[in-house]
Amino acid sequence: MAVDLSMPVLVVDDYKTMVRIIRNLLKQLGFQNIDDAADGAEALDKMKTNKYGLVISDWNMEPMTGYELLCEVRADDKLKKTPFIMVTAESKTENVVAAKRAGVNNYIVKPFNAQTLKGKITAVIGDF
Amino acid sequence: MSAQHAAAQVRDAIDNLRSQNVKERQLVDVLALSEELSSAMGTFFTSIDQSVRDEFAAISQFISKARQEIGDLRPTDIRNKRLPAAGEELEAIVQDTEVATEKIMQTAEDVLALSPEHCDDYDQQVQAKMLDIIEACSFQDLTGQRVSKVVNALQHIEERMSRFATEMGIEDHESPEEPLSDEEKRRRDLLLNGPAIGGPETSQDDIDKMFDEGNDVSQDDIDALFA
Repeated sequence: MAVDLSMPVLVVDDYKTMVRIIRNLLKQLGFQNIDDAADGAEALDKMKTNKYGLVISDWNMEPMTGYELLCEVRADDKLKKTPFIMVTAESKTENVVAAKRAGVNNYIVKPFNAQTLKGKITAVIGDF
Repeated sequence: MSAQHAAAQVRDAIDNLRSQNVKERQLVDVLALSEELSSAMGTFFTSIDQSVRDEFAAISQFISKARQEIGDLRPTDIRNKRLPAAGEELEAIVQDTEVATEKIMQTAEDVLALSPEHCDDYDQQVQAKMLDIIEACSFQDLTGQRVSKVVNALQHIEERMSRFATEMGIEDHESPEEPLSDEEKRRRDLLLNGPAIGGPETSQDDIDKMFDEGNDVSQDDIDALFA
C-alpha cells in the first residue's frame, strides 16, 4: 500500500537548523504536512492533540529527551502504535539497544543524508 | 633558652658542687653521673636543634618555591584573560556558524524554490545563489582560526599546570570515585553521551543490522558490537 504523503509528520529537535534540514528533506521526499517541536514535552503535548503518521525525533534534548518521549509514547495506549524514528548523534551501542528495547522503529545516526532518511522511512512506513 | 645553654648551666652547677670539696662518695658518684648525663643531653638537644632547624629551613624553602611556582602559574592571568578570551572565541564560533548556516540554508531553499518555467534567467539566478553559498562557506576559515586560539589557550594552561605539578612533586592520588551530581546522574541514566570524536561509535550499517526485520537484539549481537 502506498504511503499517504499528506499524513502529518512530527519532527522533534531542539536545534532549529536540524529541524529545517529534516523539513527540507521531507519536502523533497514529497511529504506535505510537516510539524515540529523543540523537545520531548512539547512533542508529547502535540501528539496528544494531533494525530501524526510518523515521528522523527532527536535524542539529546531538554527537559524531556527523545528517549523519554519514546518511552512515554509507547506507554500510552492511544499513541503507542505511532511509527517512531530516532535521528541522533548518540551512537553508542547501548543507546541503540535501549532505543530498540523501548520500541523505536528505526535509528539514524547523525550526520545522515537524504538517501538514508528515505531508506529508514520506507523501512518503517512502506514505499512512497 | 637553647639546649646548649641549658647543658652549660648544668655543667657549671656540677663544677660548683665539686669545688665545695664534697667527700661523700655517693654524692661524687651522682655528680659524675650527672655530668655524663648533662653531656649526653647537651649532645642530644644540640642534634635536635639542628634537625628541627633543617626541617624548618626545608619547609621555608618549599613554601618559597611554591610561592614562586604559583606566581609562575599566573592564575589571575588565566582567570581574567585567557579563559574569558577562549570563551569569547567559542561564542563567536557559535555565532559565525549560525550566521553561515542560516545564509547557506536560505540560499539553498531559494534555489529549490526557483522554477525554470517561471523565470527567464533561471541559470544566472542559480549561479548567483551558488556563489552566495560558496562565499558563506568562508566562515570555516574564521572558525578554524578561532578554534586554534582556543586550543592554544588550553595548551598554555595545560603546560603551566603540568610544570607546576612536576616542580612541586605533585602526584595523582588513587581516590575513591566522587559521587555523581544530579545532572551527571541524569545524563548517565538517560544515556546522554553526546557525539563521539571521529565519527559514530556504532556505524549506520551495524545499526541497520540490528533493525533488520525479525532481528531481535540478542546478547550475542550486543557482545559482538562491543567486541
